[in-house]
Amino acid sequence: MDAYTDRLSEYLDGEDLDSSDRAEIEDHLEGCPACRAVLAELRDVTARAGTLHDGTPEGDLWPGIAARIDSARTIPFTARAARRISFTIPQLVAASLALMLLSGAVVWVSRIGGTRVDIESIAAAPGRDRRAIADVAMADFADAQYDEAVADLEEALAAGRDTLDPQTVRVLEDNLGAIDRAIEQSRQALGADPANLFLNTHLAAARQRKLALLRSATALATKG
Amino acid sequence: MASAAAGDVRAFERLYRTHLARVHSLVRRMAGGRDTDELTQDVFVRVWQKLGTFRGDSAFGTWLHRLAANVVIEKFRSEALRRRRLSGDDTVFDRLAAPRQSGDVSMDFEAALEKLPDGAREIFVLHDVEGYKHREIATMLEISAGTSKAQLHRARMMLRRHLNARCGV
Repeated sequence: MDAYTDRLSEYLDGEDLDSSDRAEIEDHLEGCPACRAVLAELRDVTARAGTLHDGTPEGDLWPGIAARIDSARTIPFTARAARRISFTIPQLVAASLALMLLSGAVVWVSRIGGTRVDIESIAAAPGRDRRAIADVAMADFADAQYDEAVADLEEALAAGRDTLDPQTVRVLEDNLGAIDRAIEQSRQALGADPANLFLNTHLAAARQRKLALLRSATALATKG
Repeated sequence: MASAAAGDVRAFERLYRTHLARVHSLVRRMAGGRDTDELTQDVFVRVWQKLGTFRGDSAFGTWLHRLAANVVIEKFRSEALRRRRLSGDDTVFDRLAAPRQSGDVSMDFEAALEKLPDGAREIFVLHDVEGYKHREIATMLEISAGTSKAQLHRARMMLRRHLNARCGV
């Protein structure tokens, strides 16, 4: 190889190559079969680049995209309170406890050997161990029951919002909205990849955060 | 496209499905097969966000692919990372065993492309696959046109060695 070899791509493409440089390289090529061979091979490489086929991903990426698009739209907290209901503190506390029990009842069954593994154990495991437990399946998620309990709590909070300071209500609404978006994103992504350990961990954590927030709201309403 | 820009998600989904293969392949080649699905999703979310800024100065596909390339570039952008990505081992094809020939030349070439050092691969994809000029690449990657040319030549020479090895040369 010689110094001209490094200029062969530039010669091939012709971008910003002035006429004197082009002439110099062409003069060299006339007397250098090695460089002519390299030039031919570079042409082959560029030709192959133009014949590559486009392919689609193995899975459907749309659900994840749709979830992220949809999460950009905010759902006003007050829109959920379609009707006023009377509530008592015991009812609010009872619903919060039910939600806590439901969230704590989320367990994961390993496909290998049927070992039941608590999600908190997975979340606390070192990185490499979490990857080793990757092949788990979701069981007993109780989505409908969880959602019903959450809806009851939200309606109760909406009905009792007058007992709370307006600034507190705004903070609650903002935080619940952020958690709801995270939960919905995880749900949508899990629709395409239900056994994804990271997503399931993320969803469980978001639900725990929602539980903690609703507990705080309950405590505040009780004080009020 | 106008419907999608107006917020029609169904219309946007149709756009997505029309351009998915092209975008996914561009992302896969530029990123060397890493995080392809996640990056593809990032691209289309960015498209959704930026759709209102499309002025029609170019074909929509051209605009979309430029945006996709920028998403990948941003993903891997950092000064220290870029220095490593523009260096790398030129002898990778010499050291590896001759690639198992699948019989599909295109597939072998794609596999060889993924083995290139990050920076050289990125520039090869932008120039030889996507058709950008060195001045455009220099702007996108915040490098000089001279660096873009040198890295392209480096990528081509490495791929040339791969093709020679495949033919037993």
